[in-house]
Amino acid sequence: MKRNRSWRLLAVFSVLALVVAACGDGDEGGDTTAPPGTEATDDTEATDDTEATDDTEAPSEPTGDPIRIGGSLALTGFLSATAVIHEAVGNVFVDRINEQGGLLGRPVEWVLLDDESVPENSAAAYERLITEDEVDLVIGPYGTGNITSAMAVAERYGYVFPHHTASLTYAYNYQCHFSSWSTGLHPNITNPNLVYDAVESSGNTPETIGFVINEFPGTQFIAYGEPGTDEGGAVAQAEERGYEVVLEVDFPTAITDWAPIAESVADADPDFLYIGGLGVNASELINAMNAIDYSPRGMFTQWPAPGPLLQTDGADGIMSVTIFEEHPPFTDDPEAVEVAALINDALADAGVPYTKVETQAAASWTAWEYLQQAAEGAGSLDQQEMCDYLVENGAQTLFHGDIEFYPDEQNYFEDLSKVKQVQDGEWYVVYPEEFAAPDRGVVYPRG
Amino acid sequence: MDLLVQGIVTGVLIGGLYALMSIGLSLSWGALKIINLAHFSFILLSAYLVYQLAISFSVNPLLLTLVVVPLFFVIGALMQVLIHRAKLDEFKSLIVTFGLFIILQSMIQTIWSADFRRIGSEVNVFEGGSIRLGDITLPYPVLLAFIASVAIAVAMSLVLSRTYFGKAVRAVAQDAEMARAFGIDPNRVAVLLSGVATAISALAGVFIAIGQALWPGLAVSWFGIVFPVVILGGLGNTMGALTAGVMVGVAAGVASVVWGPISAPLVTFVILIAALLFRPHGLITARSVA
Repeated sequence: MKRNRSWRLLAVFSVLALVVAACGDGDEGGDTTAPPGTEATDDTEATDDTEATDDTEAPSEPTGDPIRIGGSLALTGFLSATAVIHEAVGNVFVDRINEQGGLLGRPVEWVLLDDESVPENSAAAYERLITEDEVDLVIGPYGTGNITSAMAVAERYGYVFPHHTASLTYAYNYQCHFSSWSTGLHPNITNPNLVYDAVESSGNTPETIGFVINEFPGTQFIAYGEPGTDEGGAVAQAEERGYEVVLEVDFPTAITDWAPIAESVADADPDFLYIGGLGVNASELINAMNAIDYSPRGMFTQWPAPGPLLQTDGADGIMSVTIFEEHPPFTDDPEAVEVAALINDALADAGVPYTKVETQAAASWTAWEYLQQAAEGAGSLDQQEMCDYLVENGAQTLFHGDIEFYPDEQNYFEDLSKVKQVQDGEWYVVYPEEFAAPDRGVVYPRG
Repeated sequence: MDLLVQGIVTGVLIGGLYALMSIGLSLSWGALKIINLAHFSFILLSAYLVYQLAISFSVNPLLLTLVVVPLFFVIGALMQVLIHRAKLDEFKSLIVTFGLFIILQSMIQTIWSADFRRIGSEVNVFEGGSIRLGDITLPYPVLLAFIASVAIAVAMSLVLSRTYFGKAVRAVAQDAEMARAFGIDPNRVAVLLSGVATAISALAGVFIAIGQALWPGLAVSWFGIVFPVVILGGLGNTMGALTAGVMVGVAAGVASVVWGPISAPLVTFVILIAALLFRPHGLITARSVA
């Protein structure tokens, strides 16, 4: 189905390209029909895509054997609600790169397997992709456990491994892994401090704080720091700032009853509630708190499903972290707007109710950009050369801007997270100020 | 102290929902010897249908009980016809219904995507609402589920113990051939009972849709609750399922408050293991059809 759509798009594009070639001058036509290859890649290095578009030079049609990019995603299972975003973004990226002349002049084909949200399946999928399917490149799966498993396989075979949203930053020391989630190497320190800075920027500093933390390893890491170290995380950082921690509750990932936690929160009544939650955890907790007529004065949630949270009564004023939101200044770049629109459509086609680009979609797009730029920059599909290229040159990304990878920081770059908040039923970035939506700022305590 | 009392109260109420989710499986396992894993998908499918109809037509989701319960009665009855034709024993039923579970889950994901779905508060008048009794709060979604659960458990218990149909069910559960000799059509009884069991699952789905967000993988998280309740309650014992549901709900709720939510599954399974050791036929066996 996906391949059919790609071919349909390719066919439509080819016809359009022929029309453009027939109507244009001889030089452009010559460029269009020039056989792609290494030289074309060198041209790509010399001029960026925008310039090519401005010149109305139609990109060459990719030719030759397809470059096969292998990867797995949690198309089924408990991670599938979010993995569907990565699937849609990957399809848009592959369609777009093929429309723009392919990778190294060759068409790109995405070989996607379902890892069923199981890390062992993910490892097996990458083993198969590399050894049996003999894919040229790999792109990471979704989900911390799955990424961690797949990375070990990629490392064993020396494949460059771009990945989107793995949360256990300290665990990834493979020299050719490249995370596209701008958390930095120590999100357990930087992320909570960003949030606390945002809250304090309102002019009101909380005196007490409560923590409700999913036992998922990533949220545990952010809250408590790397296991076996005394680095600490959100809890320790709060204490360092002088906040009194009045509640610390961990809850199982597959929780079915939120009422006891809501009651514990109401009993502790913190000035600020830090929910180390995933998916709909925050929505369910807010509903449970609504049911006992309790409403915290301030709330933050780590990695929520953004759509359902917007639909939750009592969610107004809750904060979270993000990479990108579809409002100025993020949408000042026309290409970001164009790509965001493509992703919106793809998510709508996939039946996803909340179609806006935010952390997951932006990180996903960035990972694909790494792969494209590594191959184009190295001018080949040699894994080590691609890896070296990224380490030495970084990447120019649509949603993160220019990125420099720091090998002594396990290839992580700065924590570029921003704080967003639900206001008037929409998500807006509110901190740091230079990224805040027009006329928006941190609201604390909640209205 | 208030926290503990509130924990017990909400534990009782959510125990009602657990019971409602378990009664259908308990009946089909106890009386029909069908370990119906598709039961979990039926609950989820019902919840998704309620979600879809509620948001499409802006209908109070509770009213959609009138749609999904009869619909799933028919589905359950048809499933039993197929199971009978395939001559599935207890073990084979486990395999086949597991396959059905997977198919239904995939179907749900195909139709509604893997993303989270929730009935918005503009339609779901029960979301976040509650009744207050002094310092104690009774949240609407679980309160309604508890009331429905008690009504269903009592009604089914009376039906099974006092009506001809109930006697027929018990007779078929004990010895289908002997029941046939006394003029009972075991197939007809099984079809009706399967319909009833599936309809009760659909009712549970209504309260799931009212109370929480939906996603295709949700059904898997119920295994760890529903199986302990069914086994603790005794196979085919509706009052036992209610008792066990409340017991699990209270134990998990109190454990959550006292030792933290992570201890809740541990406490549930300690109770289950203790029951299997000391009361292997369930806590209450007197009214079981099995």
